[in-house]
Amino acid sequence: MSEHVEPIRRSVTVRCAPDRAFEIFTERIDDWWPVETHSRAASEFDAEGVKVERIEFQRRVGGQILEHLSNGSTLPWAEVVAWDPPRRFVLAWRPHPRPQAPTEVEVTFTPADGGTLVSLEHRGWERLTEDVRELYQSYAGGWVSTLGRFAAAANEEA
Amino acid sequence: VTNQDQARVLDALGDASRRAVLELVRTRERPVVEIARRLPISRPAVSQHLRILKEAGLVRDRRVGNRRLYGVDARGLAVLRSYLERYWDTALAAFARTADQEKGGRS
Repeated sequence: MSEHVEPIRRSVTVRCAPDRAFEIFTERIDDWWPVETHSRAASEFDAEGVKVERIEFQRRVGGQILEHLSNGSTLPWAEVVAWDPPRRFVLAWRPHPRPQAPTEVEVTFTPADGGTLVSLEHRGWERLTEDVRELYQSYAGGWVSTLGRFAAAANEEA
Repeated sequence: VTNQDQARVLDALGDASRRAVLELVRTRERPVVEIARRLPISRPAVSQHLRILKEAGLVRDRRVGNRRLYGVDARGLAVLRSYLERYWDTALAAFARTADQEKGGRS
């Protein structure tokens, strides 16, 4: 009954070596993650003036990615389910307050031309059921303002 | 998928009544009159919400005898995919800017 849903795959090449790229992606996520558009605070507490203080990536299996907020609370995004530095990690990804099964995000770091190819695969949409509504509720529903502002920003750049 | 398609889906999903309509037609196809009976909104309002959902590619309709039935349209999925692709593109681009600064001086 469950249909296969093709994973979302994106990649980028950076000039530093895999171990450095891995470290920046994980330990130093707070240095670069675009919290102004990509955060639960942005999508859930926008009107209440709650700000993101920092993003914490707990680097171990069972560790979490946490969004620390200015009101003292924390919001989880994901749990680390595979940890293989500096080659790859896998996250159970659920950056919204709804109880649906998480999807899965795998990031791999491969040497390429003196730098590193960083590939991201977001998969496991079947777990949400093949139903389109579930996907919308989990993502477009929970992240709608984030995505809306992202689309607006992207449109300005285009 | 264009920016306009994405804007339509965002606008369509930004309304709680329309999400309730979408929820109802998810389980099975239904005519307008039945949707109106199950929600605290008028029949003309339901029709208006269905029109917006249909324009966004979230709902499709078909005629069966003298009735028009509304159900979920999978095209909306393609639009959601493009959001998520852009979501990750933005995150990866921000990562690459930081990682490349790290290397120092080169451009």
